[in-house]
Amino acid sequence: MNLRYIEWIWHVSGRLALPPGESNAQAFDRLAPLFDQPGTTHQRTPDTLTFQKKNQAAQDKMSVFDGGVLQIAHGMAGRELHYRLISRALLYCFLAPLFFLAIGQLTITLAKFEKPPADAAKSAGKPKTPDKKDALVPLNPVDKFLGAPAPEKPKKDDAGGGHGKKASPTAAYVFAGIFAALYVIGRVLEDRLIRTVFRKALLGG
Amino acid sequence: MNGIRVGNRIIGTQGPVTVGWDNIPKVQGGPVKQFVFTWFQPAALFALLAFWYYAPNSIAKTSTAIYIGIGFKALLLGLEWVNPRYESWRLTWKELATDLFYVGLSYTLLRLVDGYIGSDVAIEAIRTHFHWDKFAWFTGLPLLVQAFLISFIFDFGQYWMHRGMHNWYPLWLPHSVHHYITQLNVNKGAVGNPVELFLIGLGIGGLFDFVPRAALLAGTFGLTIGIYQHINVRFNSPRWWRFLFNTTEHHSLHHSQDYEATRSNYSGAYIFIDRMFGTCIDGEAELLGLENGRRMSIREQMTHPFTEGWKAIRQGYRQTAQTALPAE
Repeated sequence: MNLRYIEWIWHVSGRLALPPGESNAQAFDRLAPLFDQPGTTHQRTPDTLTFQKKNQAAQDKMSVFDGGVLQIAHGMAGRELHYRLISRALLYCFLAPLFFLAIGQLTITLAKFEKPPADAAKSAGKPKTPDKKDALVPLNPVDKFLGAPAPEKPKKDDAGGGHGKKASPTAAYVFAGIFAALYVIGRVLEDRLIRTVFRKALLGG
Repeated sequence: MNGIRVGNRIIGTQGPVTVGWDNIPKVQGGPVKQFVFTWFQPAALFALLAFWYYAPNSIAKTSTAIYIGIGFKALLLGLEWVNPRYESWRLTWKELATDLFYVGLSYTLLRLVDGYIGSDVAIEAIRTHFHWDKFAWFTGLPLLVQAFLISFIFDFGQYWMHRGMHNWYPLWLPHSVHHYITQLNVNKGAVGNPVELFLIGLGIGGLFDFVPRAALLAGTFGLTIGIYQHINVRFNSPRWWRFLFNTTEHHSLHHSQDYEATRSNYSGAYIFIDRMFGTCIDGEAELLGLENGRRMSIREQMTHPFTEGWKAIRQGYRQTAQTALPAE
C-alpha cells in the first residue's frame, strides 16, 4: 500500500520563505534552540536538518513531533525552508475513536452475557426476601427544618443497589466523538503553530 | 541545594521547592481579578452544596451530577487559560489529548472493570455471604453529616492507600507512573496506570446505606475541593481553606522532583488528615516529575509497573539464588 495518500494524517509539512541574504548555516542557527531540548537529537548537513525526539517534555515547543526533516531549497520566491514533520500523537489521536468504539462494542457484548441471568431472575417470580430499602427513609429533623426535599420511595428497578447498574456504551461513543473532534482541531492547530514557531525563529523574534 | 528543614525532614535538596505560605506568590492583577481568584473556591463549594441540598428530586440525579461535573471542569480549564499558576504548565494540544485518553479510560474501561471487581461489588458479595445489613442508622443523620462522612471515610482510606503507595514497592510501581507528569491541570488526576486508578478508587462506602442526595453532596465535596489538587490556576485561597483542604500548592509539592517533598500531602481532599499524621507540608513547586522531568509515553505508563516489577522479581530471585549457594 502506498502510504503517500494517508501520510497527511500524521505528517505536517510546509514551506517558509527565508529572509534574503541569509546563509543556510545562519538560518539553521536561528532554529537551533528548538532542537536544543531534552530528549532531542539532530544532525545537520549544509542544506538539511534532521531531528528525532524521545520522551520530549510537555514544555517543548515541538513536543507534538517525534522526528522530521527541514531542508533549505530554491523555490519560486527565492530560498525557502521546506519541512516535513512526523507526529505519532496525531496518528494515535486519529486512531483513538476506533479504540473507544471498540470499548463501546465490548460493553455491549458483556452486557449481552449479563442479561440472561437477570431475565431469569425476573421471570423466576418474587425475589427471595422483601427488600428493606422499599421502606421510606425519614429525613433528619435538621434537614426537615432547613427545607431539604424528602427522599422519594426507591423505584423497583433501582432496588439492588449498584449491582443492577447497566453498563452503557454511551461514554465510549462520546469519547470516540471527542477524539475525532480533537484530531481535526490538532491537525489544523499544530500545523499553524509550528509554522508560527519556525517563522518567529527565522525572523529572530 | 541546601534544602529547608521542616520538622525532622530536610525538603528541597534534590529539586527546587517553596516552603511556607508567605513565600508563595499572590494573584496579580486588578481588584476584580483578586476578588474572583480569592473567593472562587469557597463560592463554588457553597453554591453547589446549596444546589444539591435544595434541588427537587427530579433534578437531584446522577445524570445532573455528570453534566455539572463536566461543566465545572470546562470552567476550570477556562480559568487555567486566564490565570495560570505557571506558564510552563500551560495546556498544549498534545497534553490535552493525552489527558483525555486517560479520562476516557476512567469513564469506560475502568467503570466496566469496577462493575465486576470493584470494591462495591466485593463488599456486596461479603454482605450477602455473611447476611450483613448495611449500616442503616447512617441514613438518619443530617444530610451534610452523611455527605461529609462518606467523603471523609473515602479520603481517609485514600490517604492510607496513597501513603502505602509511597512506602511499599509493589504499590509504588503502579503509582510511580503518575509521578512522571511534568505539568498539572484539572485532568491530570486521571493520568496513571489503570491498576493504580483502580486501587485508589477502592473504598468501603458500600457498607453504608445513605440517602441518594447525601451521595450527590459527597460528590460535590470531591468536585469542589479535590479537583484543585491538579489545577494550574493561581488562587489566593483563604487561610482556613488551605488549613482544611488539599490545594494545588500542596499537591505540586507532592509531585516535585525532590524525593523528600513527594513523601507528603497524601490526602485527596482533606489536608487536615495529613496534618493529623504529620505528613503535611505547606508549600509549592514548579519543576515536577521523576528522572529530572522525563516525560513518560502512554505506552510506557501502561507497561512500566509490570516491566519494573518483573525486573525486581528477577533481581530478587538472583540475589536469593546467590545467597543460597552453599559455601563449599
